Amino acid sequence: MLKLDKLTRRFGDNLAVDNANLDIPDGQMVGIIGRSGAGKSTLLRLLNRLIDPSDGQILFGDADIARLKGKELRAWRSDCAMIFQQFNLVGRLDVITNVMTGRLYDLPAWRAMAQVFTPRERAFAIQALDRLGMAHTALQRAETLSGGQQQRVAIARALAQEPKILLADEPIASLDPMNAKIVMDALRSINREDGITVICNLHTLDTARDYCDRIIGMQDGRIVFDGTPDLLTTQMAREIYGAEAHEAFNEAATSTSLGASSAPVRASA
Amino acid sequence: MTYTPMMGGSAGASGGAPDDAVATFERHRIELRATKRVWNILALVIFAICLGLSVWVSRFYPERLADGIPRIFEYFATIMPDLQWDALFAGRTEDGSAVPGSLTYWYTDFWTYLTLIFETVLMAITATLLGTAVAFVLSFPAAANLAPNTWVYIVSRRFLEICRGIPEILLALVFVFMIGIGPLAGVIAIAIHTAGALGKLFSEVNENASSRPIEGITAVGGTWADKMAYAVVPQVAPNFFSYAMLRFEINVRASSIIGFVGAGGIGQELNRVISFYSDDRVLAVLILVVLTVTVIDLMSERIRLGYIGRENFA
Amino acid sequence: MSIAAISAVSDSQIAAVRAAHPGAFATPAATIRRWAPLAIAIIYIIGSMWYFDFGRLFDSSERVLRLLRSFVVWRDMDTWSYSQIYVGIAQTLAMAFLGTLLGTMGALFVGFLAARNVMPVRVVRQIVRRILDILRGIDQLVWGLVFVRAVGLGPLAGVLAIFVSDLGTLSKLYSEAIENIDRKQVEGVRATGAGQIGIIRYGYIPQVLPVFISQSLYFLESNTRSATILGIVGAGGIGMIIIERFRASLYDQVAFVVLNVLILIFAIDWLSKRVRLWAIGEKHDA
Repeated sequence: MLKLDKLTRRFGDNLAVDNANLDIPDGQMVGIIGRSGAGKSTLLRLLNRLIDPSDGQILFGDADIARLKGKELRAWRSDCAMIFQQFNLVGRLDVITNVMTGRLYDLPAWRAMAQVFTPRERAFAIQALDRLGMAHTALQRAETLSGGQQQRVAIARALAQEPKILLADEPIASLDPMNAKIVMDALRSINREDGITVICNLHTLDTARDYCDRIIGMQDGRIVFDGTPDLLTTQMAREIYGAEAHEAFNEAATSTSLGASSAPVRASA
Repeated sequence: MTYTPMMGGSAGASGGAPDDAVATFERHRIELRATKRVWNILALVIFAICLGLSVWVSRFYPERLADGIPRIFEYFATIMPDLQWDALFAGRTEDGSAVPGSLTYWYTDFWTYLTLIFETVLMAITATLLGTAVAFVLSFPAAANLAPNTWVYIVSRRFLEICRGIPEILLALVFVFMIGIGPLAGVIAIAIHTAGALGKLFSEVNENASSRPIEGITAVGGTWADKMAYAVVPQVAPNFFSYAMLRFEINVRASSIIGFVGAGGIGQELNRVISFYSDDRVLAVLILVVLTVTVIDLMSERIRLGYIGRENFA
Repeated sequence: MSIAAISAVSDSQIAAVRAAHPGAFATPAATIRRWAPLAIAIIYIIGSMWYFDFGRLFDSSERVLRLLRSFVVWRDMDTWSYSQIYVGIAQTLAMAFLGTLLGTMGALFVGFLAARNVMPVRVVRQIVRRILDILRGIDQLVWGLVFVRAVGLGPLAGVLAIFVSDLGTLSKLYSEAIENIDRKQVEGVRATGAGQIGIIRYGYIPQVLPVFISQSLYFLESNTRSATILGIVGAGGIGMIIIERFRASLYDQVAFVVLNVLILIFAIDWLSKRVRLWAIGEKHDA
């Protein structure tokens, strides 16, 4: 159970996240929507503590995540995997090493520095890659892969962390529709099969409707909608997206066709 | 037909306006030229003052120059070897002495020189390795985007600046006094300077490293050292390597002259032959030094391009 | 197909993955290949520490302390001949200025001789280039030593040393700048019927002058730095004062002079950075 209590982040005079209160039960797949600059990204980065909150609490179990420091903070980051819009892989390292960086928190310092990994860690990394259908690229440099492939490697790295929560910051915004579907399917299967909480920033409304159990709408740093996809009316969505509604709905139109084709997969899940 | 009269007409009829325009333009032009001329004259005066002061302070007078130039040519004549074609490749005679005019005679001390050149190259390699190691370690705290905190950043940055600021040969002078004559003083002096020079370059490379992989490693729970080892080093390693090789080329030159203050290598011999003899030995050593430096440059370029590939060299 | 926790990965699973992806696992050969460079470097360093007798570094602590003490404790400061020291610094600046100026003037001429598009005679060009290679190949300090032998101790030798090594480097840089110019402008001047001198004056000079000036300014900066040490071989300037005081065991004065040299070097760095920024800004305005 992840609980945000009056979470606030200021950048100068600007309130990027304004008094956010949320309860996210374990195993939920949550989509956060809103136009660019609404504070979605800041909220996710606050959860992973890539940014420090100005005010408020993040509670996970009994621990106040907002106050963690040093080793405990790193432990939390290792429990709370993050996927980025630009993948944030190390381009010049090979794919398997990129995945094994997901184990860094558990590695003794000398092994981390000397880049010595055990056969068990290597096998685990290959299994994680295999799950994303990327095991055949294990020895390639990450920078030689396409965007969609890199995002799958990034998900494998997240899996290697054995996370409790998976945060995804616009995971498909840089991908073509085909790869976007592969990535979203992978995130949902991780959510359904491993019971990992997935919190995902999405720009397009339709993807959120298709994949998420629950949708949170943000506007100017405030949470303005929180509910199941069927509660999100077109009127409400237009309000959330404001001037960008046209764009968001247009993209939604293109991904609707993909959503339809993904229906059988969902049935099997 | 209509064109010329119109020109004449407008000038004659409404006299004032165009004349004013021309006059304004002329006035502006004169003003502009005047300011430009003032600046030019000022620059010239400053230049002349600098020149005059320099000539006076360094006593660079024409008559001294006129005295000196013939002596330069005389000197270069004395260091030329007296080679004779018929004896050029003659070996040593039975009693072990070389025939005047032969290469053997010119390079009597060839093996001494070669040993010293070997020592010079060793000095350069050792100093480059040691200096690069220090520069590598300090380049992370000395990069503005990577330093864990401001204090570490300032301290490591200043330290590198001081290492770089002191000329190697001054350092060598001090080390020769402290630990005695010999190559060790030279190695340490060059290593310190290398640490400073490479540390600055390395930290600039680090500052240009992409922040995305760093964010990625932060997000998996990596320590500061993890971030450096996994996210920064792979990005910067090729640049570090080529900078270190370039520095090695510079260090070969440095170690060939650092012996002037007694810090080992061929420079010590070069200093000795130049200071005590005015004969062909000077040229013999000079040729060997130039040859060594050239060969090392070519080899190092080979290695550099072979390792990182031509397209990556930037 | 949810994956197991890492602790639950069984040995048979590891074996299966290893069989499918042998390249992903560390083999002895790969391990050796990875660690070999580091191992060689460490062995080399240990070997060279023995060769260069690094142990002496620790035997000399008493001398080091004595030297450091005399560096820090400055005695009889009123008897130091400050005028001599500051004349030395002025001399250093003067040597750099004159050497760079002469080198620039020489390179203006030689640079054209070494440029492919100006000097069509291949033999002349090649001879000039080889001579320049030799001038560059010999270090400035060696030139200093040679000129001290030729013209005696003092700044004249230093000026000549800076001149000769600058001539080698600047001529090469200038000739490269000349070779990289825009041909059309030269042809434009040629079309007016200008002679060879006229072509150089109006076709080449306007294009290459900014490059020449910026390179010479850069050399003025680096020469000021290197002129501080030319005196160590007797070629005038502040270096000569350093080595004199050092030989006379006046270490406190050495420390004072070196401190002045460092301030001078940092000041030059700062100043030339400023000048360069200013020059770039000027270009932006134009």
